[in-house]
Amino acid sequence: MILEVNNLRKEVSSGDNQLVILDNVSFNLNEGQSLAITGPSGSGKSTLLGLLAGLDEASSGQIHLDGEALHELDEEQRAVLRKDKVGFVFQSFELLPSLTALENVMLPSELKAEDDPEQRAKYFLNRVGLSEREKHYPKQLSGGEQQRVAIARAFACSAKILFADEPTGNLDPKNGEMVSNLLFEVNSETDNALVIVTHDHDLADKCDKKIELKLGKIVE
Amino acid sequence: MMLLSLSFKIFARELRSGYLTSILVSLILAITIVSGISLFTDRLEKALNTETEEFLGGNLKFESNQNTAKDKIAEQDFEGINFMEMVLFASVIFADEDMQLSSVKAVDNAYPLIGELELENESGIFITKKNPDLGTVWMDERLQNLLNLNYGDKIFLGDSEFIFDATILYEPDRASGNFAFAPKTIMNLADVASTNIIQPGSRVEYNYLFSGNDENIRKVRDYLEIIKENGDDIESLSEDSSSLGRTIERSENFFLLGGLIAVLLSACTIGIASQRFTRRHVSYVAMLKTLGMQIFQIRMMYFLLFVFLTLLTLIIGLSLGWILQSQFIDLMSSYFPTELPVPGFYPILITCGTVVICQFGFIYPHITKLLAISPMRVLKDDISFSYGSIPVFVMGLIAFFLLLYLYTNQLTLSLIIFMGVIGFSVLGIGSIYFLLGKNKTGLGATGPMTLALSELRRRKLGNSFQIFAFTVAIGLSLITFSASQNLLGSWQTSIPDDSPNNFAINITPEDKNSMQSYLDENGIKSKPFYPVTNASILKKEKQDDEDLIDRNFNITWIEDLPEQNTISEGKWFDAYQVNGISVSDDIAERYKLEIGDEVYLKLGEQKIESYVQSIRVVNWDNFSPNFFVIGHPSLFENISSTYITSFYIPSNKQYLAADLMREFRTVSVFSIEELIEQVKEIIEQVTQALNSILLLTSLSALFLAFSALQDGFSVRKHQSAVLRTLGATNSLIKSSTLIEFTMLGVISGSLGSLVAYGGIYFIETRVFETSANFYPEISLLGPLLGITVVSSLCYYLINGITKQSPKKLLMQ
Repeated sequence: MILEVNNLRKEVSSGDNQLVILDNVSFNLNEGQSLAITGPSGSGKSTLLGLLAGLDEASSGQIHLDGEALHELDEEQRAVLRKDKVGFVFQSFELLPSLTALENVMLPSELKAEDDPEQRAKYFLNRVGLSEREKHYPKQLSGGEQQRVAIARAFACSAKILFADEPTGNLDPKNGEMVSNLLFEVNSETDNALVIVTHDHDLADKCDKKIELKLGKIVE
Repeated sequence: MMLLSLSFKIFARELRSGYLTSILVSLILAITIVSGISLFTDRLEKALNTETEEFLGGNLKFESNQNTAKDKIAEQDFEGINFMEMVLFASVIFADEDMQLSSVKAVDNAYPLIGELELENESGIFITKKNPDLGTVWMDERLQNLLNLNYGDKIFLGDSEFIFDATILYEPDRASGNFAFAPKTIMNLADVASTNIIQPGSRVEYNYLFSGNDENIRKVRDYLEIIKENGDDIESLSEDSSSLGRTIERSENFFLLGGLIAVLLSACTIGIASQRFTRRHVSYVAMLKTLGMQIFQIRMMYFLLFVFLTLLTLIIGLSLGWILQSQFIDLMSSYFPTELPVPGFYPILITCGTVVICQFGFIYPHITKLLAISPMRVLKDDISFSYGSIPVFVMGLIAFFLLLYLYTNQLTLSLIIFMGVIGFSVLGIGSIYFLLGKNKTGLGATGPMTLALSELRRRKLGNSFQIFAFTVAIGLSLITFSASQNLLGSWQTSIPDDSPNNFAINITPEDKNSMQSYLDENGIKSKPFYPVTNASILKKEKQDDEDLIDRNFNITWIEDLPEQNTISEGKWFDAYQVNGISVSDDIAERYKLEIGDEVYLKLGEQKIESYVQSIRVVNWDNFSPNFFVIGHPSLFENISSTYITSFYIPSNKQYLAADLMREFRTVSVFSIEELIEQVKEIIEQVTQALNSILLLTSLSALFLAFSALQDGFSVRKHQSAVLRTLGATNSLIKSSTLIEFTMLGVISGSLGSLVAYGGIYFIETRVFETSANFYPEISLLGPLLGITVVSSLCYYLINGITKQSPKKLLMQ
């Protein structure tokens, strides 16, 4: 099992009050499986993704990622875990504007100190159809192209699980379709698990499993 | 009204949230420095002018060796002019068994024309604005002591008897006369006739002093030019040429330079802060436009916001500026015993001018850019400014030039500085840019060192700018440190321990050898005894017309070039060239004398034919006798003269000065210890004032560097969040950033040391005219300061970033 979540709860303080963002969230995901997390705005989807990827700490509950108890790790240990096992695709792409497409894709391999990150990055850029654009900076790419670079970056890190937060949210339907197809295509080649937060029902339907959140709780 | 209240609300909110802090602090710093310096220099200038007027005794002075001018002047009956007459001569004064040569100044009832006298009698110290009563004289303390006089004692001057009435502590017209070498006596002009001292052929100087407004003084001057005869001299208000006056004048220029640098640094900070301000207001303006607000209304809203900002900064800055100038005046209070004059409007004008130029040059272009944002920004986040950066840059440069012109008031000088600063900045930033080398592919995130090096190269332009700002900050701080530690010491070491502290003049040829023996017997080492006489120079033109140079000079004749004199043109005397004269460079320039010009030297009734053989640069501050004109002894055989020398009397043998004057009655010895002390004190005070300016300037530079750093860190914030999301540890981010900024610190510190060496050299050689020194500690302190300051600031900023979760940072 790549992901095991039990009784997850996240509270934030707002003035004197405690707001419950997530409550009693539990589910499992196996290697190679894909999961869609859906729900209306403010239901806690992105917060859940952040907790699952170790970007944030839960108030209580347990998360086991590839056997490691994420809830017991500090920020530095979670960073190492993210580096080794997690890939990301964001709604707003989050590419570094001062790096070219190729350099953005090289980043995860560089952080892992892998041999020849350039070759690996070139392979994945080619895989997402952007070989010709490797020297271009994010500003010089369209939204769809930027998201494809982000996908190449997510796969270039040989992660075990890939988290995608509204990957088609900023794209027009045509580009959105292209990006979601690419995401599943490349994922099928790797045996990675895939967790997608989305409003897009078509995209959610492509996943093996679906959970819907409402006011921070899983709706059965 | 709605706009007024809306802009005030935004202003108050921005102020509370701290977003305006950078602009606010920079403007306050600029206003404080500009107003502080201009208020101080304005008051200082007024005080120096008053002092120069007092030194001269009037606005205009006519010196003559004959009393024929008096009637001619009286006939003219100039309107709006106050006029006085004084007669100067040297005479021996007798008192009981003592006698002493004195420089006598006989003044009429209009004395003093400008200023007042400070006297002392048995009742104590008092101030007066009148001449001595008939039958009384005032004397300086030296003469009183030499003659052993008490108030009310009788003295004899020529055929008359006088009562010693008071001691002169301060007299306004200290510039008067060729007889000022001897201790001073002031008497009533109406008493002169009864003394029978002035006889045909007596050496007397008649001085006529005038005061009035510029126009009336000009009329008098025009008339005096007509009646002026050979040997007469007209002196008007000119700049104080004393050593102290020059030091203060040079310091004033340095203050203004320091102030200008501080304002320019603050202006850059304002530019950076305004850029940040507009970035934050993009969505706001787009939203207001979407809601139907017209551009002129939005423009007015921001205009009002900056009016509030200006008013606030002016109130705070001017108050701090006033405190700053009060501190400077307190520091220099001993040099100006009376209260300084109140400042004029110029300081306020220059301060407001600075604020307006800063606003229009460094804030307004950004606001214009902001106003051009499309309302579509509301729908599409990625829509950015359509207005280019070039107009912003050009406006900044225009403002920079206007500031220079405002401060220097000279177009050519402003252009030179403008081109110089642009050239230096392009060269400096360009060299750093190329020094950092070419980018390699990838971010180099494999380890802290590779990441740091890659970041240094990748952010070349930003880093070059930051290095530049830190270099200026560190350089100025080091100058401040060195000035406070070394400057006074460096000036003191430039004066040898045994440099002369006493001058002896009026040594007769008969006394010369015995005085030399006397000094030798008492272990006093003296400078050479220079023969000295008064001569006028007649310029012999090619057409054989005689053209008199309108003043007399003290002239000497020696074989060897005096110490600290250097020949700038022509040749010093040798075995074959002994008939020429050597003139100082300032005299050559003033009277357009060139090598080879033929001249006559008129010494009393004798006339010697000669030519300009060499031109000398003279160090007038070397505590030795110096001369405008020097000839070779062979040309002056049989010319009668007195001698002048200088020597060092150690503190335990100070009594020798008085003994010497008793032994050699005609000789006058005066000490310059007080002058040396005064120069020392003024250097100490000017150094402290300079340090305040430099500290404020380095604060501006530091603030600019911090603003630039902070601006750069907003980009780093996003990068750090992405890197951490991808698995970079906090320690990798922190250590690579620290390594990067330590390197920036070392580069800035080393360059700062070089800037400091240049600045210290300039201050030592140009401002204080002392010898340049090398301070090895500066080369160590610079990089150390760079590492400490830059990496501490960086640690503070990066710690703020790594404390937040990457998710939170990505959401910002």
